[in-house]
Amino acid sequence: MKKPSLFRNLLLSLLIPCAVLLVLEIIALAKGVRLFVNADSWKLFFRAVANVTLTTFALSINLDSGRFDFSLGSVSMLSATIAGTLSQQWQLGPWLTLAAAVCIAAGLGLIHGGVYVLTRIPPIIVSLGMALFYEGCAFAFTGGKGVSLVTRTDIIGFSQIGNYILVTAAAVALIVLLFDYTRFGANYRALVSGQKIAVETGIREVGNALGCYAVSGALMGVVGFIGMANTGSQQMALNFGSIGIMFTAFLPMFIGGWIGRYINRRIGIMLGAVSMALISLAYARFDTASSVQSIVSALLLVLFLIYLNNEFAILSRFRRKQEVKS
Amino acid sequence: MGKQTWKERIPAFASVLGLLVLIAAYYIVGAVRDANVAYGLKAIVNQSVVVALVATGAVFIYTLGSFDISLGAATGVSALLGAMAYNATGSLVIMFLVCVGVAVVLGFINSSLASVFNLPIFVTTVAMMSVLSAFMLILIGWNGAGDTVKVKARDVRPLDNIPFKVFILVSYIALCWFIFTLLPTGREAKFIGGSPVCARLSGINEKKLGIIASLISAVGIGLGAFLTIIYAPTLTKDTASSIGMDVIIAIVFGGMPVSGGPRSRILSAVVGAFSMGFMTQIMSMLNLGSGYGQMIKAAIFLLVVFIALGSQRGKLLTR
Repeated sequence: MKKPSLFRNLLLSLLIPCAVLLVLEIIALAKGVRLFVNADSWKLFFRAVANVTLTTFALSINLDSGRFDFSLGSVSMLSATIAGTLSQQWQLGPWLTLAAAVCIAAGLGLIHGGVYVLTRIPPIIVSLGMALFYEGCAFAFTGGKGVSLVTRTDIIGFSQIGNYILVTAAAVALIVLLFDYTRFGANYRALVSGQKIAVETGIREVGNALGCYAVSGALMGVVGFIGMANTGSQQMALNFGSIGIMFTAFLPMFIGGWIGRYINRRIGIMLGAVSMALISLAYARFDTASSVQSIVSALLLVLFLIYLNNEFAILSRFRRKQEVKS
Repeated sequence: MGKQTWKERIPAFASVLGLLVLIAAYYIVGAVRDANVAYGLKAIVNQSVVVALVATGAVFIYTLGSFDISLGAATGVSALLGAMAYNATGSLVIMFLVCVGVAVVLGFINSSLASVFNLPIFVTTVAMMSVLSAFMLILIGWNGAGDTVKVKARDVRPLDNIPFKVFILVSYIALCWFIFTLLPTGREAKFIGGSPVCARLSGINEKKLGIIASLISAVGIGLGAFLTIIYAPTLTKDTASSIGMDVIIAIVFGGMPVSGGPRSRILSAVVGAFSMGFMTQIMSMLNLGSGYGQMIKAAIFLLVVFIALGSQRGKLLTR
């Protein structure tokens, strides 16, 4: 069988982000606006790339193993809340605050994983309980007031394009390294594809699951810090008010899955996040109402899923038409 | 098969025991704090009845091993359109019919999309939730009366009483229990949830059952929307927004496995919804504050589920 060329794979993996950019540029041209008009547009774009890439990694790490996680938003919120408070008390700089947020979030992820492996409650249910618990913790920790860092110009100054690129590149590199080039990653993939056989061959499932929760948490710590540095504050949420962030990760995850046929899946997820970031930028540049944004994003998700789940039928019909024509 | 010991029986009744313990705790805390227990009970019924209605219908969807996160948004849209229909016609009957009708149409769209295009039901409902939440904003905008849609409180006050709400809830539970327990639909749903492959090979039409489950659930959503208007006639974009998650919690709290299958029970939803209602009221009486209250709720929730799981824990981690 002929091996697909690297060039062809590269082209196909860039197809979706390029197509999205092309369509959006055409719409922008028709509306008489430019997508990337100034430094703020670039900043918005790279911030969205960083947030969506990291959130999608955090979601997919556990979801690929059949562990649905509703607590991502609450981990992000609680870690940013604690790190922000520590930063205020000890006058920590932005990178130390980021490191604190990552460590705290990894710890929260580990606690979540610990509850899961100790109780053996289905992961989706544990995640519901942990989401409620962490939201409650954040609220109780600040008395519901949240954290304000508006006077901390050093923290707010973190919101720069260079930092977003650095954080995204570091996260992608670490995730690729961890999940594709280490024993932990090999065990993870074995557990994903055949849990029972993997465990019977001696792979330690509990340790791997705990590691996944810790890594997923750490990624959400970065997301929490980016959000807090951008707005200068961390707002509180109760009664599952924090779970919305998770829904932004679905479309890039599916796009990443499709691109993953041609290139490393983690890179595919990042390219999916780039596509989503372009769409987010377009919403901002076109002054799109939030209700319309929600509807368009949901429709895109459904349309992409319709294609993915009926790809064989759609492609066969298309090929048949081509054959009839020729 | 040997006789079950009391230790083996505990998990099966953990949720009911949990509810009884919460009721006892409610009266004890009420007595210690000298709270108005009767008033609190009314609040519990008012808060729990909508969740119980939506969750009872949702049991059909969960039994199939499916998952619907858009129930809250569907309740919100049905309530908004019902309220707008009432404001246009002045008829409570039309308001009722619009609430149920809209919910049924939404349920049909949801399940048909998933069935026709082979979409994963959870992601379909995530998309549906976004669309419906956005549609609520648009509806409120169309109404042109600020950021609310209002029905005059005095118009719905005659129906805002506990006996009427309990009547609606009991009637719907009886209907669902009848379908779930005595008709083939319930048995087939349990079969699909327990073993989808075997069910398919036995000739059970999974897609058809998915649509039926959504339609039965939609009736609960419509009734919940109707009672939402009656209890809180000023509707906002946040109306019923938490119901989607409350339903999941209620169903699991009530002792039903989230994976569905033969252990599914209609009454789980009611037990879970009222347990949550009592818990919220106890937290309120203890003046714990929202944050600590929610932490304790989460801990109790996990504890009850842990006990309810009993000896079902396997060697492998659950997925």
